[in-house]
Amino acid sequence: MTEDVIAVRARALAGALAEAGFARLRVRDGETEIEVRRASHSAPARPSRAVPAEPAPRPIVERMADVISSDVVGIVRLARPAIVEGQELDEDRELAFVETLGIRNPVRSRGTGHVIAVFVTEGQPVEYGQALFAIER
Amino acid sequence: MFKKVLIANRGEIALRINRACHELGIATVAIFSDADRASLHVRHADEAFCVGPGPATRSYLNIPNIISAALISGCDAIHPGYGFLAENARFAEIAADHGLTFIGPTPAVINAMGDKATAKRLMQEAGVPTTPGSGIVASVDEARAVAEQIGFPVLLKATAGGGGKGMREVHAPAELPTAYATAQAEAEASFKDGRLYVEKLMVNPRHIEVQVLADEHGGVVHLGERDCSVQKPSHQKLIEEAPAAELDPGLRARLHHIATTATRAVRYTNAGTLEFLVSGSDVYFMEMNTRIQVEHPVTELIYGVDLVKEQIRIAAGESLGFTQDDLHPHGHAIEVRVNAEDPENNFAPAAGTLTTVVFPGGPGIRVDTHVYGGSIVPPFYDSMLAKIVAVGRTRESAILRMERALGETRIEGVKTTVDFCRELLGDERFRAGGVGVGWLPSLLARRAQPV
Repeated sequence: MTEDVIAVRARALAGALAEAGFARLRVRDGETEIEVRRASHSAPARPSRAVPAEPAPRPIVERMADVISSDVVGIVRLARPAIVEGQELDEDRELAFVETLGIRNPVRSRGTGHVIAVFVTEGQPVEYGQALFAIER
Repeated sequence: MFKKVLIANRGEIALRINRACHELGIATVAIFSDADRASLHVRHADEAFCVGPGPATRSYLNIPNIISAALISGCDAIHPGYGFLAENARFAEIAADHGLTFIGPTPAVINAMGDKATAKRLMQEAGVPTTPGSGIVASVDEARAVAEQIGFPVLLKATAGGGGKGMREVHAPAELPTAYATAQAEAEASFKDGRLYVEKLMVNPRHIEVQVLADEHGGVVHLGERDCSVQKPSHQKLIEEAPAAELDPGLRARLHHIATTATRAVRYTNAGTLEFLVSGSDVYFMEMNTRIQVEHPVTELIYGVDLVKEQIRIAAGESLGFTQDDLHPHGHAIEVRVNAEDPENNFAPAAGTLTTVVFPGGPGIRVDTHVYGGSIVPPFYDSMLAKIVAVGRTRESAILRMERALGETRIEGVKTTVDFCRELLGDERFRAGGVGVGWLPSLLARRAQPV
């Protein structure tokens, strides 16, 4: 991948990162691996008496996640029973397939892990590179 | 009429098609690669699908993903633009199999015209003059026999070819083995088809092509000719104009007649272009392009016909809304291709970020482009950034207008052909009109020589 492409994909990943509320996302595509991290909130120390009206910042969980994205354009068919957020995967398994022109393109978990996000629903159309699942290793 | 069209292309032509669709009240679906996520064609379309990573083989040539995007979004037709899948009969067939109308000719015609040797034979049968030469040659020896019969110099050409790839000039018998091997290897690499044929090489002919439109009800018209003789040594067109300057009226009429006759003979439908080599009063058919062409705007500007809209109407089964008698050209139009290339370095393509982009405007200027200040030129695709087109009452006024327009153009961040083309417009020989395809290569060769 060229730097331009990496920059474009990194931007797309940053979007997924913000959406899911993760601290870090890592995506592997062939020999290229992109990792996106949220900037740490190292704001200057606030006075101990916080302004009451301001809600406390949402804690960001420091987690390492693999985002599994679609290689094709098609319709998502979730595995049955459907994979749910919080589920433990104790082996490499099929999470879904993306149907393209009647061909089933399997989406595998690429190993074990903890499912921390399911970005898609049954029957949803997806494009190339669209995030489907996030798995904590 | 169609409700939604998928535009299976990128760059300026994707925008051009998007504009035609929107003016016809048709919704659009863009496709894009990872490298084109921020491109204008994605923004202007009503919907957009990423179909793959940067390299075209995995995105803009990814037939399953493209067809899938069309089906998911509920399209009823696909416009292929030019390049990529525009002349891929298999793609047209697959689209039809999935209930999608391919905006272009039938797969059978695309196949016949796409195979250059077959196209030549069909044209000969239709009474169209073709360059002396052979069918497919199976070996160097066979090529040599043909060359000796028609006389050197000859041109070795890939039957699947286009864009100057798989093509070699051979001036003497001794050059043949090397030329044969390199042309074959190039054709094999570019088109997965290494078959070659031999053609008489004409010395400095003009490249003149005729635009045709044909509906599915027997209506056939021509929209005059375009002169595309200003070509880089790689045979890629750089400056095009319509009508052709300094062309004998009888020869012009003959070209138009041959084009419409041939179009009928091969039962062609939709927009197409017949390319000819013209040398003195001799006219030879070269090939037929079964797509909209890059240089179509020069024809649109003098005929007042929107060729892309006509393509869509024809594909939707409508009859042409005009006859030959309704078509009259007015004035003269010139197009300059603004490429991200270095004219001082063999037109080497450049990639990078465009830091400044200012296009010209004002009377008689049309700019078809997909780039803007800050946009990225990916390394994967054709280097064309924009087409600047000028129209005037006369050739001279169109040239003056183009010189003014190129002077207004500022593109920074990559090297471009803007200043180089402006210089060419000022050349005495170009100004006189009617240069041949050898003009620019010989001008470059003279420049390259040490003084």
